[in-house]
Amino acid sequence: MSQGDKKENLVGRFFEISIILIVIIIAWLFIPLKAQNMFVPSLFTILGAFKELTLNGELWIDIVTSLKLSFLGLLISTVAGIALGLLLGWFVKLERYLDTVLQIMRNTPVLSVLPIFVIALGIGDMSKIAIIVWATFFPILLNTIQGVKNVDSTLIRAAESMGIARVGLFLKVVLPASSPFIIAGFRLSAGVSLLVIVAAEMLGANHGLGFMIFNYQHSYQIPKMYVGIITLAVIGVLLNLLIVKLEAKLTRWQEKANAN
Amino acid sequence: MENEYRIVAENLNLVYRIRRAKKDPNPRSLHALKDISLNVRSGEFLTVVGPSGCGKSTFLYILAGLIKKTSGNVRINGQEIKGPALDRGIVMQAYALFPWRTVLKNVEFGLEVKKLPKRERKSIAREFIELVGLSDFADRYPYELSGGMKQRIAIARALAYNPDVLLMDEPFAAVDEQTRGSLQAETLRIWEKTNKTIIFVTHSIEEAVYLSDRIVVMTSGPGKIRGIVDVALPRPRDEAIKNTKEFASYRNKVWTLLQTPCERTEKVERIFDYTELVSRPQDNAI
Repeated sequence: MSQGDKKENLVGRFFEISIILIVIIIAWLFIPLKAQNMFVPSLFTILGAFKELTLNGELWIDIVTSLKLSFLGLLISTVAGIALGLLLGWFVKLERYLDTVLQIMRNTPVLSVLPIFVIALGIGDMSKIAIIVWATFFPILLNTIQGVKNVDSTLIRAAESMGIARVGLFLKVVLPASSPFIIAGFRLSAGVSLLVIVAAEMLGANHGLGFMIFNYQHSYQIPKMYVGIITLAVIGVLLNLLIVKLEAKLTRWQEKANAN
Repeated sequence: MENEYRIVAENLNLVYRIRRAKKDPNPRSLHALKDISLNVRSGEFLTVVGPSGCGKSTFLYILAGLIKKTSGNVRINGQEIKGPALDRGIVMQAYALFPWRTVLKNVEFGLEVKKLPKRERKSIAREFIELVGLSDFADRYPYELSGGMKQRIAIARALAYNPDVLLMDEPFAAVDEQTRGSLQAETLRIWEKTNKTIIFVTHSIEEAVYLSDRIVVMTSGPGKIRGIVDVALPRPRDEAIKNTKEFASYRNKVWTLLQTPCERTEKVERIFDYTELVSRPQDNAI
């Protein structure tokens, strides 16, 4: 699609991408009012619950609690995953030794190990950060390794021909060259971090969106439960948008496959 | 005496050991370069021609310090070459520009390694981008440039940190004929302007004759120097020189050198059993 077409079709595009959503919202507002189904309350009712939870500050505390933990965990595994990934991608022999264990750890369903962390670290923040680190570490690590292995060797030669030192080679060549892979791994991990924090909070917490959803489900306050779910949906979409933007900025130098 | 020579190679050998299995009791050896001796004068434009697999690029990478020799000596400015350094710049066939860096940042790379302050880096980089005529593209990324432009930037990058010697590995093999012609002219212009010593590897005889002061002709199996041709064509040269009788006679001379079968090794190679050949290195002795 060319530039001109895009502008002309902007209104049409907006219609395309939002019409189904609009229909769903309208349906959700009005159909439950008639159907009287207690499992799916009308959006009007949910908005009312949203107003209540916002005004008493409860929702805000839950959002901050969840995001704080998942971001902290994501940050730790990003730094550690990139650092170790650069190392293992470079020293292939080391990777061969570690690969078996890494594959086992990566392929073990994440939440199955949560009890270990809970026993060791309690049901507080520490065990949640630990499980998030565990869950988000592998996509970043394995993608970084893949990225490093894929670095064009002529670029390394070119840099080496200029007498660059090892550290410089890593920072100025290997890291930026593997950045598209690293970012892809980060994107995956960011989604996982939300998933895992919600699950962990459902299994044991006093605050957080996962706890909130679980808690209101148990106490049959269905509209409030939906507030938590919709909030998470919005956060998930916003997070993805943010990462897409970041990705576009960081990989601006790449030839876009679909650019004409 | 050695001072007039930028680069001196003496009895340079490179032997690869090839193991067919992990614990191969008698690994075969492949003689990639055999007894290469060559002096390169300061400010000289020297080309190396030869068939694929003759080791001409390998020789260049040894000079760059990127491949380790098996035996012999190679010196630059009287110093043994131990590894890569900023006294040599290399231009590769595949451009090897850093795709995440703009043109300007690419040219600055060697200057960053040299730890020059930012302002100085920028102004030197701009100067060399101008030298190759691409000032308007300083802020573009490599993917936005044509092959010829990329190679100009690679040349600018290699020149920017002011090496004594420019090593060029089939730099124009990947561009179209027309671009190739203009890049050749550009290279000559830059060489005349900067007084660099250039060692230029190519498989095109015409390119070699057009550019060089001397042509080193190499043959393969094992890679060795067959002969050296002095090219006494007047300078500055332009495209028209390619139509002269003198040019044609130099071209023939190089061609003949490349063709002459004179050693046993050549005969054996014709039965296409290269590995058999190099497994008995004593056969290769003259």
